[in-house]
Amino acid sequence: MTLQHFMDTYALDLLRAIFVHLGYVILCVSIGTVIALVLAVLLTRIPKISRFIMPVLSVLQTIPGIVFIGILFLYTGMRPRTVIIALSIYAIFPVLKNAYSGILHVDDKYREAARGCGMSQWQMLFSVEFPLAMPSIFVGIRMTTIYLVSWTVLAAMIGQGGLGEFIYRGVGTNDNRLILMGAIPAALMAIGLGALLDKIQKKLTPRGMREPEQSTQQSQLNAQEGEI
Amino acid sequence: MIEYRDVVKSYGGKPVVKGINLTIQEGEFVILIGPSGCGKTTTLKMLNRLIPMDSGDILINGKSIKEQEPELLRRNIGYVIQQIGLFPNMTVEQNITVVPRMLKWDKERRRERAKELLALVDMDYDTYAHKYPNELSGGQQQRIGVLRALAAEPPIVLMDEPFGALDPITRDSLQDEIKDLQKRLNKTVIFVTHDMNEAIKLADRIVFMCDGKILQAASPEEMLRSPADDIIREFMGKHVQRVHMEDELTCSDIMRHRVATISPQRRTLECVELMSQREVNSLIVVDDDRTYLGIVAIEDIKDRGVAGETICPLIRTDVPCVETGQHAKEAFRLLMDMKADYVVVVTPDKKLAGIVTKSSMSKAMASALWGEG
Repeated sequence: MTLQHFMDTYALDLLRAIFVHLGYVILCVSIGTVIALVLAVLLTRIPKISRFIMPVLSVLQTIPGIVFIGILFLYTGMRPRTVIIALSIYAIFPVLKNAYSGILHVDDKYREAARGCGMSQWQMLFSVEFPLAMPSIFVGIRMTTIYLVSWTVLAAMIGQGGLGEFIYRGVGTNDNRLILMGAIPAALMAIGLGALLDKIQKKLTPRGMREPEQSTQQSQLNAQEGEI
Repeated sequence: MIEYRDVVKSYGGKPVVKGINLTIQEGEFVILIGPSGCGKTTTLKMLNRLIPMDSGDILINGKSIKEQEPELLRRNIGYVIQQIGLFPNMTVEQNITVVPRMLKWDKERRRERAKELLALVDMDYDTYAHKYPNELSGGQQQRIGVLRALAAEPPIVLMDEPFGALDPITRDSLQDEIKDLQKRLNKTVIFVTHDMNEAIKLADRIVFMCDGKILQAASPEEMLRSPADDIIREFMGKHVQRVHMEDELTCSDIMRHRVATISPQRRTLECVELMSQREVNSLIVVDDDRTYLGIVAIEDIKDRGVAGETICPLIRTDVPCVETGQHAKEAFRLLMDMKADYVVVVTPDKKLAGIVTKSSMSKAMASALWGEG
C-alpha cells in the first residue's frame, strides 16, 4: 500500500479520531478543572487538614490509567461516560495541586488589604486570590491538558475511539504506520494545545503581574553581574 | 467619636490588650505608640474587627461595632497597611476604587472619584490611573494605598505603620501629605507607629502603650514636657533632645560641663601645675560659690606672673561669654568670629555652667543632625 493509498484509506477515520480525541481532552480538562478549583478553594480554607489530604490524593494519581479505566468499565460499561469519568478524575489532580499551592501562596498582605477594604470571603476569592493564583493554576491546566492528550489514547482500549484506535490497531496488526498515524497527531496535539494555553495565559495575565517576574529576573541578573 | 471601653484581647491565654479605655474625638489624629508587643496594632485592628475582641466594647458614634457586619463596617473605615498591599492584578484606578465598587457606585462616579483622589496627591490621572502597582515607586504605591483607604470617604482611617517600609525622604514627604490631607478632609486618623519622631510630627494626641495598657495619652508637647513614666521617657529619650535641638538649641545644650576651674586665691605656681596636669593653657577662675570671675591664661602667667603671688591680678575678663539660655547660634558666632578657643557659658546669676569648644559644638551639631551621641 503506498502512502497515498494509505492516506486515502484512513484520512477520514483519522480526522474523526482527532476530533473525538480533542473532544475528550477539552471536555475532561474542563470538568476536571472545575472540580479541582472547587476542591482547591475548600482545601485552602482548612490548610491543617489539607496537609494530610494532599499526599493521599497524590498517591491516587499514581494508579495507572489503564487499571483505573479497566476497573471503572466493569461498573459503567463500554460507554464514553466511562472514559469521561476516568479522564476527568485524572485531570483533577495537577490542577488541584497547583491551584491549592497557588492560592495558599498568595501573600497575606493582599488578604489583609482585601479584608481591610471590607471584601467578603467570596469577593476576596474572586478579585484577589484567584487572579493572584492564576499563573500557578495555569501551569496546572497546561500540565493536565498535555497528560490527558496521552491518556485519552486509553479510550480506545474500551472501544471509545480517539487516536488510540490507530495505535491499538497498529500494535495489533504490527503496523508501524498505523501506530505513527495515531502517535504523531497526538504529539502535535499536545504541543499545539500547550502553545495555545500559553497564548491564552499571556493574554489573560494583567500587565501588573507579568512584569515583576521579568524585573526580578533582571535584577537578579544585574546582581550577578555586580558580583562578577 | 470612637470609644474603647475596657477592651480586652488575649492570644492563647496570653493577654495582649488588658482593658483599654480611650475616647477619640472626631477629626483627631491619634497615634498609638509603644515598644513592640505592646498591643498597639491589636488595639487598632479591633476597631475594624480584623481582630475580634474578647470582652469590652468599641463604640463609633455611640453604636457598638459588634452590631455591624464586619464587611460593612470595614467599608466605612479606611485601612492602610505597612506592606501597602496594592492588588497587583489591578490598575491604580481599580485599586483606588475597590471599596466604591463594592458599594456599587456607578462607573462614572468611580472615575470622578479616582480623578479627584489622584489630584489630592498631585498625581496626574492620565499618567497614573492605568498603571499597575509594580510600575510605581514605593512612595507612589503607598500614596495609592492611602487613596484606596480614602476612596469611599470614610470618616475614620486606620493606619498600621504605613510609612515603615519607605526610605526616610519619601517617608518625610508622605508624613507631610497625610497630615495635610487629614486636616483638609477632617478625618479621624488612628495611626500605629514605633517611631517617636513620626508621632511627634503627626499626632494631635499620642497614646503610649506598654504591655497591653495605656501609660499616657497626651499631646506631643505635653508628653515631651512631662512623660508619665520612665518607659516613656526612655522611649523618647533621644527624641526629646533631638526635637529640642532642632527647634531651639541653646548654649547649655552644646556646652561641655567638665571644666578645669581655679579659685582666685590660688598662687601662680599651683595654677601652672594644674594647667599641666589637665593639659590646658587656660583655666576658668571661679570663687567658692562658682561665680564666674574670668580666666587665667598661661601666657599671662609667663609674662606678668610673680611666683608666690595669687593669680588675682592676672584674671582676664575679656573672654567671650554667653548665658545658658541663649541660642546656641550666639556661641557659635562668637567661637567663629573671635577665633577664641572656647566660649564661657554662665547661668543667669553669673555662675559658671560650662564652656563651648569647637569640639563640643560639632558634637552637638552631629547629634542634632543625625541623632547620635
